[in-house]
Amino acid sequence: MADTPAEQPAESALQELMEVESIAIRFAGDSGDGSQLIGGEFANTSAIVGNDISTMPDFPAEIRAPAGTLPGVSGFQVRISSEDIFTPGDEPQVLVAMNPAALKTNVNDLPEGGIVIANTDNFTRNNLRKAGYEESPLEDNSLSNYRVVKVPLTTLHKEAVAHVEGLTNRQIDMMKNMFALGLSYWIFDRPLDPTIRMLEKKFGSKPNIVDGNVSTMKAGYNFGETVEEFQVRYHIKKAVVAPGTYRAITGNQAAALGLVTAAQKAGKTLFYGSYPITPASALLETLAALKNFNVRTFQAEDEISAMGSTIGAAFGGAFAATGTSGPGIALKSEAMNLALMMELPIVICNVQRGGPSTGMPTKAEQSDLLQCMYGRNGDSPMAIVAPATPSDCFDMAVEAFRIAIATMSPVIFLSDGYLANSSEPWRIPNPDDIPAIETNHPTDPETYQPYNRDPQTLARPWALPGTPGLEHRLGGLGKEDGTGNVSYDPDDNQHMANIRAERIARIADRIPLQTVMGPKTGDLLVLGWGGTYGAIRSAVKRAQQKGQKVAATHLRYLNPFPKNLGDILQRYKQVLVPELNMGQLSLLLNGKFPKHVISYPKVQGLPFKISEISDKIDDILGA
Amino acid sequence: MADAVETPKLDRKDFVSDQEVRWCPGCGDYAILAQMQRVLPELGIPREKLVFVSGIGCSSRFPYYMNTYGLHTIHGRAATVATGLKVANPDLHVWIVTGDGDALSIGGNHLLHVLRRNVNVNILLFNNRIYGLTKGQYSPTSPTGKVTKSSPMGSVEQDLNAISVALASEATFVARTVDRQTKHLAEILKRASEHQGTSFVEIYQNCNIFNDGTWSFATEADVKDDNTLLLEHGQPMIFGKEKDKGIRLNGLAPEVVTLGDGVSEEDLLKHDETLDNPAHAYLLSRLMYPDFPVPLGVFRNVQRPVYEEQVVAQNEKAVEERGEGNLHALLHAADTWIVPEGPDGETVREVSEEEPSLSDIIPDISQEDQLAPRTSLQHFMYDPISSLDLPTPHSIPAQTSLSEAIKLMRDENAGCLLVVNKKQRLVGIFAQGDLFEKVAGSDIDLQNTTVAEMMTKDPTVLKASDPIGHILHLMSLQGYRHIPIVDPDGRPISLASFKVMLQFTGGLFAEPSVN
Ligand code: SF4
Repeated sequence: MADTPAEQPAESALQELMEVESIAIRFAGDSGDGSQLIGGEFANTSAIVGNDISTMPDFPAEIRAPAGTLPGVSGFQVRISSEDIFTPGDEPQVLVAMNPAALKTNVNDLPEGGIVIANTDNFTRNNLRKAGYEESPLEDNSLSNYRVVKVPLTTLHKEAVAHVEGLTNRQIDMMKNMFALGLSYWIFDRPLDPTIRMLEKKFGSKPNIVDGNVSTMKAGYNFGETVEEFQVRYHIKKAVVAPGTYRAITGNQAAALGLVTAAQKAGKTLFYGSYPITPASALLETLAALKNFNVRTFQAEDEISAMGSTIGAAFGGAFAATGTSGPGIALKSEAMNLALMMELPIVICNVQRGGPSTGMPTKAEQSDLLQCMYGRNGDSPMAIVAPATPSDCFDMAVEAFRIAIATMSPVIFLSDGYLANSSEPWRIPNPDDIPAIETNHPTDPETYQPYNRDPQTLARPWALPGTPGLEHRLGGLGKEDGTGNVSYDPDDNQHMANIRAERIARIADRIPLQTVMGPKTGDLLVLGWGGTYGAIRSAVKRAQQKGQKVAATHLRYLNPFPKNLGDILQRYKQVLVPELNMGQLSLLLNGKFPKHVISYPKVQGLPFKISEISDKIDDILGA
Repeated sequence: MADAVETPKLDRKDFVSDQEVRWCPGCGDYAILAQMQRVLPELGIPREKLVFVSGIGCSSRFPYYMNTYGLHTIHGRAATVATGLKVANPDLHVWIVTGDGDALSIGGNHLLHVLRRNVNVNILLFNNRIYGLTKGQYSPTSPTGKVTKSSPMGSVEQDLNAISVALASEATFVARTVDRQTKHLAEILKRASEHQGTSFVEIYQNCNIFNDGTWSFATEADVKDDNTLLLEHGQPMIFGKEKDKGIRLNGLAPEVVTLGDGVSEEDLLKHDETLDNPAHAYLLSRLMYPDFPVPLGVFRNVQRPVYEEQVVAQNEKAVEERGEGNLHALLHAADTWIVPEGPDGETVREVSEEEPSLSDIIPDISQEDQLAPRTSLQHFMYDPISSLDLPTPHSIPAQTSLSEAIKLMRDENAGCLLVVNKKQRLVGIFAQGDLFEKVAGSDIDLQNTTVAEMMTKDPTVLKASDPIGHILHLMSLQGYRHIPIVDPDGRPISLASFKVMLQFTGGLFAEPSVN
């Protein structure tokens, strides 16, 4: 591959190489245009050249929308950076639009001066009409705020692969996105080699497929070099990244791996009972493929059954988990309470989506927090953990099981659609370094009582059916502590309610103290949870660079809160809580702590932009 | 307690828990509990392997009274909990105790699915045709017209037949018994326990408080033999106090006949519980009082793979094929890259064989290479229009006069003409239909009218790369007879006509591979 253009970075005099810290590119087109695929490969290459990366897919609103129409557009955004980045970022600086519909749905996200690369071959009258354009926006000056590069991509691509023999029309058609990838590599000064090596490895037995893909990718790269429309290309320096082995991982993948890892670290069967629901189905699918890890998946007939099955499985001694989204939690809530009364360890994953009701299934929100805290009958405290980033889903899934087993209670793992589908580089941990999860099953009938508690954690013993002499009955009725016998005695009931609350409260003794990024005291603390981590952190960093006395803190434990949270809140003049809901964490904080926090709610089905939070910080600080 | 467990032979008392039984005095539930505690010692199952799971209702108190493992769950959901338990721990012997409201109303969905999955559990449905625990509302098995607190003018709902429901749900073992026929009850409990797969047993249970005597036709000494039919495998269906009546098939309809008078045992329907086809069992399930005696006994008893055993078998197969799961390998099962120590090292990429990140840069392509020749249907689902041999269209400039256009159509035998502008881009289509609708019979001057005035403007077009299926789709849905195929600039390249597409699809069906 000595003739790979990337190895001879001939910088044309016309084009300047601009050093930038961080930049984002968005690929958009019909589902069939492979935006996700080339976006993913662009991210991989960027990671290999040493940038930090963060990706975010945008799925079409309708799965089978007709080609060329607005609802059929899918997109994939990659942010690359020479610094640690936390979010796929706000607006992309470059948009690759494979057709008019992709242009229309995405162009408004570009900042002024952004680059639009349009495949003119797809700007036919028919496609323009489908996208609702009267005139071609490429011709009528409506894009004058952007730098528009018109590329007859399909035509150039066909020429590029014309010499390759034995390709069907369909194969040729499917390869055309590689031209766009090559061109993007040129604009962002990335090498072609990693992709070429990957293609050779994957399609080594089909040389014409490799040749076709490589040829068109190189043609795209060379196109960038030869046309004059590109006055600028970007160079992004290597990020300083901790040494180690990395892979890209999405939140749902990470959560699934975390659940398996937890079970393996205890030498247990993992039982996963679930009913398909967006955006949690990937958990079920990922786990169903891991049967050689003693994973038993149960695709239940409904959400209630999924939850019920985990109760049986946990009683039977498995590491039991279920996964769903908000509407599913609503259906599961009665059975979740049964798990709470029976005091069985279960992990309940809620990958939140836009609500209420069916809401916006493919969009992310954080609006199930209060549902998870309080959305059940009776006083039913349940532990809640919330991952902050896609890879954190791994750690928090393991942590959820650790807490569930230690306290013999159900634990909610509260993720969201944005974390679930976004990806970031993950330094793969050595599983041997992950502490084992100890489980304890009593066998001695002399000392056994179903609700005999560990004095520290208040956990009851996990006696398994099959153990001689420990026959016992569990149920959802009010009960006496110790024996677990049914009881409607007023004192018993008060006592059990106290115990259930105290058992959750004491989790705070075992979880890490809350830490703060930035000054220990100051004018403003920006406090977040879940998938807003990246945007908040980036915005706070910017504020700190401007000299503002701002710190950030991110909650990964929502119930109970870390012990020192109240103290931290007191150390700042003001506390801002940005959330993708109408102010749910703010309500909890204002209910629990004397400090009054300022809520910054947003429910547009979109993540926070860094700039939105920056502006809010400036607002509050009067800057 | 521990001693009792080590003694291999258990007796009834070993299964009695220390909880006070709290059913109403005289309730049919007592008899069922007593039979269960009597039968279990005979089954030889260690007590610690037994789990009773229930939902909510009077019957669902059952687990509290059994000195085994037990779960008193929530309304209707016992089957879901039992399924999870069996998947996690297939060695256990699990009984589900449920009622007509619990199983057929709030838990109807779960009953259907536990049966079709064939989880190896035993379901006892205590059918008392009333909501007892909530003090007397009609249930899904209460007969139409039943007057209860919630149906003071009589229920207007069709009631469900539990046995029919179970059979329709693909149950592999289906039986019916009665609380007061203790020997029969014990026998059925034993058989249910022995069956591998879901055993479904409906037990006629008397609620002497809210629905007393609902099954008296089947329990009272003077009438029960005339109103019930004891099913025995391989035996003709004879019933009645005098054993003189039987069930005969008249075509597909069962009828009650009296033996003698030219009717012999040979003429009667013979019971076969092992029939694979559930029609026989279903027919029996429809024998209902008062027109027929209600059958008691085993309706159906067939073998099918057990759900949880298959789940575990897949674990074993996966280990056999891929080896015991290795966490280290699992976490690395993707494209990885190694960031070296120090600033100058080169990052190395490892492309994963297992889980391609570009998995499908070309998903269909790699598939395509492996696929056997496509079926004809796939041909027009996927193949581009360019793979069809479509005729070149007749294009005419927009200013062509109508008379010229008509002459061209006649001379070339063309069904339609494509109208193009100066840049040769398609602006309209002029078809025979336009001729009939807009031109014929009017006093239009054919010499001085251009085809542009009469054509259909901006017709629907397709690209050569669109799938063939799109043509058929548009033609069938929109009724188009002609669809121009244009290049990316909108210039016509070919024309798909109804006639040509008919020939194409006709060719498809001539292929023997289509079925
Ligand atoms: S209400 Fe009826 S079913 Fe319930 S315990 Fe009393 S008699 Fe039995």
